Amino acid sequence: MTMDELRARAAARQQTCSQIKKMIVSRLDLEIDPDWITDDQPLFGRGLELDSLDVLELYVAIEAEFGVALYDSDMAVFGSVSRLAEEVDPALRAVSA
Amino acid sequence: MATVLATEHPEDTAYGQVGDATVPLRFSSLAEEYRVLRNRAAVLDLGGHGLIQITGADGVDFAQRVLARDVEYLTSDRCMMSLVLDESGQVVDQVLAFGREDGLLLESSCGAGTRLLEHLLARVADDDVQITDRSGDLTVIGLEGPYAWGVVGRLIDAELASLPFESVVDTAWDDVEIVFARTGLTGEYGYQMIVPIESAAALWRRSLEHAQAAGVEALELAMLEVRQPIPRHEVTPGASVIEIGANWLVDITKDDFVGKDAVVEAFEAGGGRRTVGFTGCPGVPALGTRVQAAGQDIGEVVYAVHSVGLDATLGLARVTEDLAAAGLELTVGGLPVTTLTSPYVVPKSWSIPII
Repeated sequence: MTMDELRARAAARQQTCSQIKKMIVSRLDLEIDPDWITDDQPLFGRGLELDSLDVLELYVAIEAEFGVALYDSDMAVFGSVSRLAEEVDPALRAVSA
Repeated sequence: MATVLATEHPEDTAYGQVGDATVPLRFSSLAEEYRVLRNRAAVLDLGGHGLIQITGADGVDFAQRVLARDVEYLTSDRCMMSLVLDESGQVVDQVLAFGREDGLLLESSCGAGTRLLEHLLARVADDDVQITDRSGDLTVIGLEGPYAWGVVGRLIDAELASLPFESVVDTAWDDVEIVFARTGLTGEYGYQMIVPIESAAALWRRSLEHAQAAGVEALELAMLEVRQPIPRHEVTPGASVIEIGANWLVDITKDDFVGKDAVVEAFEAGGGRRTVGFTGCPGVPALGTRVQAAGQDIGEVVYAVHSVGLDATLGLARVTEDLAAAGLELTVGGLPVTTLTSPYVVPKSWSIPII
């Protein structure tokens, strides 16, 4: 891959992550700048300290915003914003070979 | 200085110097201890973590000023993790702050107690604040693993196992007053027991009846796998909180704290570097090994180990912001690697309920 292609691929993931961060902050009324949330930080317990009620809210929000139903998904989906991004956009899982 | 439990450890324990502490790196083998931590329950000698008490009429205000997260209303049944920064926004340490009736108790990261103590003492002005090093009379024993909750039940009280995350209880073990907390550093169920040093050996021996000891190497590997910051590896000279990726240990909405101006300035400026995980290259690259994308230099390795969980090299690279993303093929020292999405290993505890 060329540098431009690598940058484009990184930008695609970062854009999806940014969209998810804005959704989390908006839906959960968090008083932080969405960009303060990092792509890799934990979301539950440690990190953003979301709880099980927040998960339910996010299930609804993700389906509304991305058209992806995550009901009954395992908790690993919420391991980080970047992990969640791969759930709402599976194309991000592919490696830039 | 060796941990107070050093006399309890087997003669062939492998020790290492971490900051101001001589800590048990391995009791048997890294792979075996790692598997215990990820699959069953490990008991941890956290005696390398300094314990510093902040008391006095202005103690909480002082703590609120020196900690990067909001501890003003941290009650005696709660604890939280926070960074401690200097005025330039550089990370001094990552602490676990316990709310106490008379102030706060700070637990430093491994080997950083002396550095943290000096930092705090240097910032006490004329306020009514007492800073006391409790590392000489208290020590910390940890439990970590998907079945650590079962050990808590057998050791102390089953009800303590299901405490909410970051809850703290003053309780008794064998008529000894201890501070018990639901914590966790590895994504697995985790607990810490702060115990008087004269009773530590007995509690350690009793814990070993129900769990297997794991050393600092296994603990730090499991922390890396869930992107739990390890200051001694990740805090490099000049790196900002944002470059390290430890934003979540800083409350940027808090009115003020030491280092806030520098953190806000770095955040608003944007750009710079970010930290991203990688795997793939054979062998463990040395710190500082250059990272390249399409033949161009974009950063360097800040920490790398062999991950037992991945059975592959696992590392952190600090690279330019525009390429700090998972799913990219880069090279480290000329060898191909793939950047990763955190967590790099999914903790077993996420799918095991506490019964």
